[in-house]
Amino acid sequence: MTQALLNGVVSGLLIALPAIALSLTYGILNFANFSIGAMITTGAYLAYFANTTLGAPIFVAAPVAAIGLALVAVAIQRGVYRQIRNADHITLLVASMGVAFVLENVISFFYGADVRTLDVPVARPLLWKGLRLNHEQLSIVIVALSAMAVVALVLRRTRLGRAMRAISDDPELAEVRGIDRARTVDWTWAISGVLTALAGVMIALDGIVDPLMGMNYLVSVFAAAVIGGIGNPFGAVVGGLIIGLVEETSALAISTTYRQGISFVVLALVLLLRPQGLFGTARIRR
Amino acid sequence: MTGYLVAILTFVSLAVLLGFALNVQWGQAGMINFGLAGFYGVGAYTAAILSKQGVDGFTATVAAIATTAAISAIVSLATLKLREDYLAITTLAFSESVRLVLMNETWLTGGTNGIRDIPRPLIGLIGGDQYEVFFLGMCLVLVAIVYLMLDRIIRSPFGRALRAIREDDLVAATLGKNVLTLRVKAFAIGGAVIGLAGALHAYYFTYIDPGEFAGFITVYAFMTVIVGGKGSNRGLLMGACTVMVLLEGTRFLKDFVPFLSAQQAASLRLAMIGAGLILILIFKPDGLSAEYRLAVQKAGGPDLNP
Repeated sequence: MTQALLNGVVSGLLIALPAIALSLTYGILNFANFSIGAMITTGAYLAYFANTTLGAPIFVAAPVAAIGLALVAVAIQRGVYRQIRNADHITLLVASMGVAFVLENVISFFYGADVRTLDVPVARPLLWKGLRLNHEQLSIVIVALSAMAVVALVLRRTRLGRAMRAISDDPELAEVRGIDRARTVDWTWAISGVLTALAGVMIALDGIVDPLMGMNYLVSVFAAAVIGGIGNPFGAVVGGLIIGLVEETSALAISTTYRQGISFVVLALVLLLRPQGLFGTARIRR
Repeated sequence: MTGYLVAILTFVSLAVLLGFALNVQWGQAGMINFGLAGFYGVGAYTAAILSKQGVDGFTATVAAIATTAAISAIVSLATLKLREDYLAITTLAFSESVRLVLMNETWLTGGTNGIRDIPRPLIGLIGGDQYEVFFLGMCLVLVAIVYLMLDRIIRSPFGRALRAIREDDLVAATLGKNVLTLRVKAFAIGGAVIGLAGALHAYYFTYIDPGEFAGFITVYAFMTVIVGGKGSNRGLLMGACTVMVLLEGTRFLKDFVPFLSAQQAASLRLAMIGAGLILILIFKPDGLSAEYRLAVQKAGGPDLNP
């Protein structure tokens, strides 16, 4: 049981990274990015490319993937989402699904549907009072916590963070006050790309690389973001932890193949009982 | 060649049915269904499982329609008063869950092996030789019936209320419309049509497996609706044909680019379809045919081209 809780915290931190990314772009652009799953996959494949084809060790490959995906995300923002920014948010949703479809199939064009693994040394898990924590999990914890700390610093302490929060609160007022919206949006996508790529690399470290790996996390990531009150990056962390814990502890009773099904049930319950999420505020939508 | 044409037209009919469904849910009521593939799977598997149990084709189809409609209603309940994004997430999560059940509950669905040798309705009466043509005829008749029924619904006060909700649910609610009931009904109507299409899919292919009910079905359906013009059932016919030409046309891709493997050609094709969807959204967001509007007459001006 304690082991399940530990695993839950680890996978919760992992889910929290893309959930924060989702919340950030949602807050700024007011649309749910359905390509987040495909972005996780893209990040993992970028790392795989750097790791195996270019032969870079994983601690070099991971930042390469993060920067690479940040560039991809900004390119997609400029090439797709900005072109249809005047459409309603549903059109943007549909566009993001199209983006996911393109990303996934470009990947399987180059790499096929084969299951791959990153080239990392195998190490003995750490043991402490009967609890097992393998090195991959340890890296997840360290990377996720540092990434969250950096995001929190950026949001709270920098000019960019202030601009992001201002746009998220009231885009028109922010514009009037001279905040460069286009630039802030680009940076938001870049941060979102970095976080998502890191999550992709971590998932790949702990398991395998295949074209559907991100898709398998999509529901959990959305559930985490919605529980935290979508648009609220700090809520997304708590949401991630809740989803991680629920998924891992339920695995004691229900087959792990239904991991996503569990997230779906949690998501449905939250939407029925507290639709604004744990940390969202109920407000009349206009 | 005739066989190929018959097959293509049957696919187009199925695509049109899915487009009709999406047009009610999304086009009319503004409810986004990213889990269309899952509902399609529910329809197909319901029909297949019942037919394998010896239930006749008609009853099994009705059961598939009813099951899919009921499940659609339940899933749409999860959105209560929320914005459309949540329905998109919920339906997508639902679709993923359906896929998991199809893959893992082997006792019911045959798991990843799927269900084979699904008995075709009326095959004893028609005979195997002409069956494909008969099936196409049946699909076309069903498309016509669904078109007429939906057309009535769209023009009815109910349809008007749906569009009112789509444009502004707060105003509609203030004017005394029960937003939740209307939304659930609209989603269930769409679900019924998806269930019908699913049952036809099962009968046509006589073999189904979980892989067929993946995200690409949903992407095709959205593309059909967007190309045809959201909200317009007439445009949809054109949309479905265009998408089918694209799908089938790109199938020959590998004949022209011989250095691609079959798998690469397939991926490239799907990537191009996704890119096509994005390009349409950017350059032709209203599609080929705009939504049918009741009694909106242009103000009479001088006729410049008598």
